[in-house]
Amino acid sequence: MIENKKTNWPVMVLLILGLSTIAFPLYMTIIIAFKQPSEMTNSISGILSLPQHWSLDNFREAMRVTDFWHSLTNSLLISVITVVLSVIIHSLMGYALGRNKAKSKFYNIVYLFIVSGMFVPFAILMMPLAKQTAEMGLGNWAGVILLYVVFYMPMNTMLYAGYLVNIPIALEEAARVDGASTWRTYWSIIFPVMKPMHATVAVLTALSVWNDVMTPLVIMAGSGQNTLPLAQLNFQSQFGTNYNLAFASYLLSLIPILIFYIICQKQILNGVVNGAVK
Amino acid sequence: MKNDRKRTFLLITIPILALFICFNTIPLIRGVYYSFTNFKGFGDYDGVGLRNYIDLFSDARVGKSYLFTFKLAIVSTIVTNVISLLLALALNSRIRAKSFFRGAYFLPNILGSLVVGYIFNYFFTYILPALADMAGIDSLSSSILSSPNRAWIGVMIVCAWQAIAMNTIIYISGLQTVPEDVYEAGGLDGATGFKQFRYLTFPLIIPFFSINMVLCVKNFLMVFDQIMALTKGGPAQSTESISYLIYNNGMSGGQFGFQSANAVIFFIVIVAVSVAQTSFSGKKEEQL
Amino acid sequence: MKGKRLKCWGIIACCLTGAVSFAGCGSNENDGKIEIEIVQYKPEAANYFTMVEEKFNATHDDIHLTISSPNDAMTILRTRFIREDYPDIIGIGGDINYSYFVDAGILADVSDYPGLADINQAYLDIGEALELVPVDGTYAVPYVANAAGILYNRDMFAEHGWEIPETWDELMALCDQIKGEGIQPFCFGFKDTWTCLAPWNAMAVDLSPADAAKQVNRGETTFSTEYREVAEKYLKLLPYGPADPFAYNYNDACTAFARGESAMYTIGSYAVPQILSVNPDLNIDSFVMPANDSADGNTLNSGIDLQFCVTADCENKEAAYEVLDFLLEQENLQEYIDAQTAIPCKVGDFALAPMLDGMAEYITGGNMTDYQDHYYPSEMAVDAQIQTFLIEQDVDAFLQKFDTDWLRYNRDIIRMVQEYEASQGR
Repeated sequence: MIENKKTNWPVMVLLILGLSTIAFPLYMTIIIAFKQPSEMTNSISGILSLPQHWSLDNFREAMRVTDFWHSLTNSLLISVITVVLSVIIHSLMGYALGRNKAKSKFYNIVYLFIVSGMFVPFAILMMPLAKQTAEMGLGNWAGVILLYVVFYMPMNTMLYAGYLVNIPIALEEAARVDGASTWRTYWSIIFPVMKPMHATVAVLTALSVWNDVMTPLVIMAGSGQNTLPLAQLNFQSQFGTNYNLAFASYLLSLIPILIFYIICQKQILNGVVNGAVK
Repeated sequence: MKNDRKRTFLLITIPILALFICFNTIPLIRGVYYSFTNFKGFGDYDGVGLRNYIDLFSDARVGKSYLFTFKLAIVSTIVTNVISLLLALALNSRIRAKSFFRGAYFLPNILGSLVVGYIFNYFFTYILPALADMAGIDSLSSSILSSPNRAWIGVMIVCAWQAIAMNTIIYISGLQTVPEDVYEAGGLDGATGFKQFRYLTFPLIIPFFSINMVLCVKNFLMVFDQIMALTKGGPAQSTESISYLIYNNGMSGGQFGFQSANAVIFFIVIVAVSVAQTSFSGKKEEQL
Repeated sequence: MKGKRLKCWGIIACCLTGAVSFAGCGSNENDGKIEIEIVQYKPEAANYFTMVEEKFNATHDDIHLTISSPNDAMTILRTRFIREDYPDIIGIGGDINYSYFVDAGILADVSDYPGLADINQAYLDIGEALELVPVDGTYAVPYVANAAGILYNRDMFAEHGWEIPETWDELMALCDQIKGEGIQPFCFGFKDTWTCLAPWNAMAVDLSPADAAKQVNRGETTFSTEYREVAEKYLKLLPYGPADPFAYNYNDACTAFARGESAMYTIGSYAVPQILSVNPDLNIDSFVMPANDSADGNTLNSGIDLQFCVTADCENKEAAYEVLDFLLEQENLQEYIDAQTAIPCKVGDFALAPMLDGMAEYITGGNMTDYQDHYYPSEMAVDAQIQTFLIEQDVDAFLQKFDTDWLRYNRDIIRMVQEYEASQGR
């Protein structure tokens, strides 16, 4: 790369300047989260300056009022279970439909039926679902997980079914000759081969679930349980006067996903691209 | 052997399909059913025939929310795609620390849009006016979220800020599919700069362009979190998106039946837009 | 391959174990005790209710009380009602939601509750008036009322020698005077649409009939007639507020008033705790909104701020009444009044907060009128309509829209009223 081609410096400069649109809001979030209400003046220097003391008091208080650990556990629980279930259930569905939709009318119709679920906006489902989940005793995190598994099914099934096209059927036939059942063949051969797609599905599902507000808002409201985004929503109206506390709480809610991103950046970027392009 | 295979596939498909029908199809049908009633969400209700649908077309508030949502979706889609295409070209050019830049520019996408909205809300209300005051720009010295004519711009900025990250990554992967020798051949024909982009690069990344269009339009039409965090539909009901209106009036405003009708229409609109987009981009790809 | 799978199942197993232990936390296992759950809609009083809950549970062996004070409780309540999951007692305001709940048959008749005898008749009447069509029985136990008008900075007024206005002209003159001395007369937080209703209600009680909404439902008058003066006078307040009132929300406005950035604030007594949380030393008093041209025409805008309703689903009414008794005990009610600057609905010897000094004469004299917006259907979003009106400042367009929207959103109610009237043979 560097041997015969020069670095394009003007573009570099522009890119660095452009980064400020991302860095500035984050910078503001951090400094406001550390400041005290008395440091919040309306002058420009007051807004941009660093806090006088780097104290964690705001964070401690924010953790207390938003019941941070509880919300974090809920969010983690919901995200992890949803991802695991999605990978298992959606890959199975993708397998069953992907292998049969070309030759069987029934499977083709089922496939189209499920994929067309992508067009159903949550807005039309939320009111009946609020009623239905409650009637079934699912007005809690378990209901939310179940709903996520259903909501992401169209997209993920399509991804898996698409990926299967590239996996030769001969692979399975070899196993079948050895006398393995279809079920065993799937788990021992197909499931491992689809690993790249598992990563994609896991990343896409995890990101959407982690940041989703509306489903828990509609299904879990009043159950006394919060997810991290939901806790921010409640926090906003209850302690609105203290922006410092609010920003500390926002920052706290961003940290888990930021850590996740820093660790798995490559997988996340690949996953997102794969998911969109397929 | 063959039977085992068939049975296994059926055993997989039927339960999952049942789950899907239970939590997607049945609520959808119930939603349609409620749209023909005057249900408030509690208590008794009567069937009212098509009244909700007739009201829907004469309701200025609903009309306004459709106008707003579409305006937001169209403008955000254009802004997002232009900026992210430029950004993708820049990130794909000969620069150092490529992966750092890519990683950093993708950051907004992973942050929760509700919290991002809250942060920008503060930014628009306090920081931007203060900056504008200092710079002597009068037109920005009051919060843009407080004016019915400009509040949608604030929402648009926040939507675009997050969506650009996603679209850029997709464009980059598109640009990487363009082989070097296309440029070399083009260079011989005298195609450089914009011309090179227009006639060589762009046609090759059209599929990625359509993906981005579909993604953008669909997400922006369903915008909810940003509204909740930034404006709550105000000022003067100028930024009520369709999803927000359905949630707000349907769940807490006692218009369960009426907003169900709104949701049914919204569903039809989404399907129509998606179908139109798919067939349009399909045609375009064939032409090229 | 096997190892991977094992790991995968391991994770699931861990999650499920965690989940089950979580679910365990959620369910209350108070064997043998009667469970009473209250959901009340004033999050600002959350501390008070936590205290009550602890105190009650410490002194009662047979009943276990849970009180939750969520944000946006009305949405949560409605969502729970959609799910047919009813708390035993709900604490709500005396507004249209209450009317709907009575109409929907969600609430239980509490006319056999002995504690009602101690409630100020005026508030029971207000509750009665809120029923869409008269219904037999009593469905709410009024707890506290609030009063809306104008809060002012007592020290600032004393320092400048400003006088409390008693008529509209005096108010305008006072505003000019304050502005002339370089101080902002009012602060507004109109980004939150509901705050637009506070001055509206306070002026409407002075200028329009108390039952304007019911008169319109009977087809006797229109809002264009009844509300014109209110709308015109409202616009005259705007120049005395901040340059861009729609940029700030309720919290921002309370903060601004607390920091002495304005001399007055057109809001209800319920804002006092919020203001004091920012500046505990602020010396606040209040006066009745003098919207009428004559001092005699003014009346205090006061309505039921919090009332308790037992739901029809409540299995143990006796226990619910015991909880209500506890809430209404002199000591507890007084504590609520002190914390929230509220007015008790119970007859008795209560000390009113000093912030209500300027309104005390109206309160003791019973010269009070309920909020007009307690009759507005929530889905009509009158608060947002008023916000629109304040931005566009077009009185005719606003009133016209008010009238047409009213007929549309109240269609079912108007029909009900007409059927009722017909059945009464009028």
